[in-house]
This record gives sequence, C-alpha cells and structure tokens, in this order.
Amino acid sequence: MTSTGAGVVAQGVRRRFGDVEAVRGIDLTAAPGEVTALVGPNGAGKTTLLLVLATLLVPDAGEVRVAGFDPVREPDAVRARMGWSPDVFGLYDNLTAREYLQFFADAYRLGPARAKARAQELLDLARLAEFADRPVHVLSRGQKQRLGLTRALVHEPEVLLLDEPASGLDPRSRVELRDLLRALAAAGTAVIVSSHLLGDLEELADRVVFVDRGATVGEHRLDQLPEATVARPWRLRALDTDALVAALTRNGYDHDVPGPAGVDVRITGDEAAADLLAGLVRDGIRVVSCQPLGGALEAAYLELTQ
Amino acid sequence: MSPHGIATVAQQEFRLRIRAGRWRVLLSIWFAVLVLFTCLLRAALGGFSNEDVADKGIVIYGGLMLFVLGLALLVVPALAAQSVNGDRERGTLATLQVTRLSAADICLGKFAAAWGTALVFLFVTLPLVVYAIAQKGVPVGRVAVVTVVLALLLGTVCAISLALSALLSRTTTSGVLAYLAVFALTVGTLIAFGLTTAITTEPYTSSYQNPCPSASQLPQDLPQAQRDQILAGCGQTQTFQETRSRTDRTWWLLAPNPFVILADAAPQLPPLTAAQKRQRQADEQRGVFRQDARDIDPLGGLGRAVRGLREPPTAIGRSTVGYSQVGPVSGGYSSQLSIALDPPKRRRPVWPYGLAFDVAVAAGALWVTTRRLATPSRNLPKGQRVA
Repeated sequence: MTSTGAGVVAQGVRRRFGDVEAVRGIDLTAAPGEVTALVGPNGAGKTTLLLVLATLLVPDAGEVRVAGFDPVREPDAVRARMGWSPDVFGLYDNLTAREYLQFFADAYRLGPARAKARAQELLDLARLAEFADRPVHVLSRGQKQRLGLTRALVHEPEVLLLDEPASGLDPRSRVELRDLLRALAAAGTAVIVSSHLLGDLEELADRVVFVDRGATVGEHRLDQLPEATVARPWRLRALDTDALVAALTRNGYDHDVPGPAGVDVRITGDEAAADLLAGLVRDGIRVVSCQPLGGALEAAYLELTQ
Repeated sequence: MSPHGIATVAQQEFRLRIRAGRWRVLLSIWFAVLVLFTCLLRAALGGFSNEDVADKGIVIYGGLMLFVLGLALLVVPALAAQSVNGDRERGTLATLQVTRLSAADICLGKFAAAWGTALVFLFVTLPLVVYAIAQKGVPVGRVAVVTVVLALLLGTVCAISLALSALLSRTTTSGVLAYLAVFALTVGTLIAFGLTTAITTEPYTSSYQNPCPSASQLPQDLPQAQRDQILAGCGQTQTFQETRSRTDRTWWLLAPNPFVILADAAPQLPPLTAAQKRQRQADEQRGVFRQDARDIDPLGGLGRAVRGLREPPTAIGRSTVGYSQVGPVSGGYSSQLSIALDPPKRRRPVWPYGLAFDVAVAAGALWVTTRRLATPSRNLPKGQRVA
C-alpha cells in the first residue's frame, strides 16, 4: 500500500520551561511508511518534542507539520490523524479493557457500530481478547502497556507518536510491538518511536534522529550510520578462544580478558573491523561472530551524544 | 464543543464515579440523616398528636430544604474538586486532550457528571418532600422554585470546585480550597455583612414636638406637679441622638449566600383565605389555639428578614413618636416617649442579585476550566506536567 500521507516535518523547534530550554532547535522528518527512531539521553528533549507534535504544547519557535497540518493552528485536524502514547500514562482502573477502548473510539467520533468493531480488533491485536471484559486493574504491567498503545491506534492514525513504548514490556511483547509497528509502517503510517532500547530500534527503525541537549545532532538512515571516529568494543567469538586471543595479541589489538561470551576488542569503525576479521580468517582462526558491542546504533549513539 | 463530546465525557465520568465509590452506603447515610432530621423537626412541632401548629408542612418543608442545602454544601465540593488535577495525577488527562474532544467538551462533561451526581442526592430527598407536602400548607409553586434554586446552587458549587481542580495542580489543595469557597459563600458573607454593618452604623438626630394632651386625657390621679410639667412642655421641640445601621448599603454582601438565596427565592405564602380565617376564629372560640405556621415559616421568615435589610431605615427626622403611660408606679406616673424606626414600607427581593452573582461565578468558573484544559498550551503553571 502506498501512502498519500504527509508524515511529520519539524524544523527549528524550540520550547522553554521557565529557565530551562528543554528543546532548542530540533529538526526531524518522519516519512509515511517509515519508522523513525528518536534517540537521545534523558532530558534531551524527546518527550517535549513529542508533546509539541501531539498538539499538547505550543513551541516557542519552529515550523511543525503533522499529517500536513499545523498542530497549533489546526489541532483538531492533527488529532483526527495522529495517535500518541506517552511514556507514562494511566488507565481508568474501574473500566474493562473493552470499555476503555470503546470510550476512546467515542472520543474520536468513530460511531457506535465502528467503535464496537474497532475495540474488538484492537483487543485481538494486543492479545487482550481474553481480558476484554475484566477490569483494567487486573492486567499485568505489560498488558496495560499494550492496551495503552492500542488506544493510540483507535482511529487508525496516519501518524503515530510513541514515547518509550517498550518500557515494561517482556521480550515477547517487544518482538510483537516491533512486528506491529513494522506492519503499520508497511500500511503507510508514519511512526516515530522514542526509546532507549537501541537493540530493539535497530531491528525496527528505518531512520534514526539523534538528539542531545535539546538539539538534533544527527539524522540518518539506519543502514547509513556515520563512521565511527572513536574506538569502541567489538565482541569476537571463535571456536578456539585461546588461538583467537593469541592472534589478537600478536597483531597488537587492544583486547580484554576473554569471558564466556567472547573477547572484547577495541577498534574504530567498520573498516577496521573488516580488516581485523579478514586478518583472523587469514590466520586460520575460525571466527563465529564479530559484532559491535550493543549494536551499531549504540555505537553511533555513544559517538554522537558525548 | 459538541453534544456528543459532552455526553461522551459525562457518561464516562459518571460510570467511573459509580464504580469507584460506595454510593449505596453514602446515599443511605444521606437519607438516614435527613429522615432523622425530619422526625426531630416534626416532633419539635408538638409531637405526633398535639395539633398546636396549623400547616406543619410549611415548617417541615422549609426546615428540611435549608438542612438539605447545608448538608449538600458539605458533600458537593468533593464531587468535582479533584476532577481535573486528579486526572492529571493519574495520567489520564493528556490522552483525553489529544482526542477529538474539545476542552469545552471535557469541561462541560465533567461538570455535568458532578452536577448530575449532586442532583442524585437531591432526588433522594424526594420521599421526605412528599411527606412534608402531606403535612399540608406547602404551595406547589414554592416546591418548584425551591427545587430549581437548590439545583442551581449545587451546580454553582460544582463549577467552582471544578475550576479549582483545573487551576491547582495538587488535589489536596484544590479540595481544601473548594471547601473554603463554600465557607466563604455561607459564613464569609455573614461575617462580611456583620462587620461592614458595624462600620456603616451612623449617628442621627431625631427631633420631635412634645404632644399636647388635653387635661381630660391625663389620668385623674396624676400629681399636679407632673400635670403642670407635661402641659408646660406642650409643643416644645426635643432632639434625640440615636444610632442606626445602614444595612441598605451592605445587604448585597449577604446576597450570594446560598441560604439567603434559597429562602428569599421561595415564594411567600398566600394570605389566609376567608374560609381559613373563619375556621381559625371558630377554633379559637372553642378554645383551640393554633400557632400559625406562617409565623415560624423558616424560608419565608428568613426571606422577609433579608428583604427588610435591603430597605433604608426611616429617613432622618421622620421617626414616629409615641406617647405612653407606664403603669402605676408608687409615687406617681411618668410619661415615656418611645421612638421607633418606621418599618420598611416595601420589601424588595434580594435573591435575584445573589442568584445572578452565583450563576455568573459558575459560568466564569467553567470558562476558566475550559481555558485551562485547552491544548496546545502555551504557559504551564509551575510544577505542572503536560502528561
């Protein structure tokens, strides 16, 4: 399915809270059909930016378009097309999961018949069908998180803003979340996800926007992350660990004492890693794996946010 | 703003309230207290056999409604005082604000749910109202007006409480302030009226001319010296220094008081019909004396008293002068001059001002609430999170 949506465009967004300038120049674009990761340390302004995009905060400066509309001047048009799930949210404890979703379907003016059908669809999607008619407070943390997430999908938004959606989710739910967001993107939704779980994002996102201290410090396609300039640990594992360590020492690599998971070697960038691997193979070391510790995204993240 | 949006929020709020609270217990206690009050009031009116008050319903109904108002003022602030900031604390407000519900939808929906709950409490008093009416004397018009005014007053308290919950970030603060607001309306108005009335008390001078009784009008055994004194003073002008309270300048301080509004808005009872008067005279001739409930009508009495405050006291120098004899005192008679202020010639209503003020405050409170719920927000109060 090709998308006709406009996605999200934000340029030069600034927002101050009293003395603190939480956002001071964030640029971000999120195209329809793509998952855009918003990555940065705590306090970098991710949540504030998402609040601006979600029509909750007026930015002090900057141009913002969500689904083609201005969130400040046309909030209702944006709200009709945008779903948002905050990092921390409450559910109505005395409602059942079904009532909760139906209430939001009403709030999004879906119409009674559509609201009912949509609630059932979402309950199935969130694997909550068996809890549909039980009060929300009996749900586990992960189930609540999933319910809150599906709330943002009630009106089938063309732009989806998720603030730390994976926090509190067990590994299986995280995999499902990933699959769900990929499916939504494939259907033409522009998805923005802020998260600290860089490993998850690596498998999920098409693009990544790095923010630090309120400003965008990098915007990349995930397959075109910037070259590393600082040595980072890479983890090597070989069938014969002793031979591997001996080869590393012989070639003058800076490596740690081997552990059960392998040997960590400090190298700078993909080129150096490829050279190392080629050298080891030449030396007859049977290497099983070689990967940057924490993944390429983490390496880039650490590189960009000092 | 749309009816659908308001209804969506109101239904949701109502459903949450019903599930969260122990409403049956609360309403049962409410009803039990009112039953107890009604029984005691009925007993105070002369027990269940003694028929010394005619039309007891007037007193029972009036007393009950004032009591219901007082009790409701203790319950109602709690219904809305944590509505907005409570949602904010629980993290359920922002998710509502990003839906297609407008700020006015959320505000009015929450208000409707709180007011609706307050009206449920009012509705529960219905059996007692029926009982009061069965005790005779309560005009239907009075019941209608009192019910409507009572509902409006409770709505005002709901709106003020809601606005406080939107203005303040802490639920405990808004809860306390909501009760303080009710206190200001009820006791605060009284204190303000009392203190300012003392300030406006002013001296005034009244002058009068001594009466000139003819010799035959004076008692025969009045000693000659006094007789001469009275006749000698005939026609002379005397002045008196008096003080009077200018409540006609301060009555409006009482106007917003819910009890004043309720009592004054209650239509005055119609005068006794000719048939009722004849019945009463016949009863009295048979030796059955009944106190007329009109004289102890709580609503009417309070209303008349407040209306009296609104009228200026008798203009300076126009006080009436009475001449009376004080009974035989050993050694002779003395003459006494009593000075009385004219009773007000008309009593204009106070409640329209009070009710208009309260309803205007309520409308303002709803406006403020809507403003505070409007997103995207430009300025955030200190310490308040968006989501």
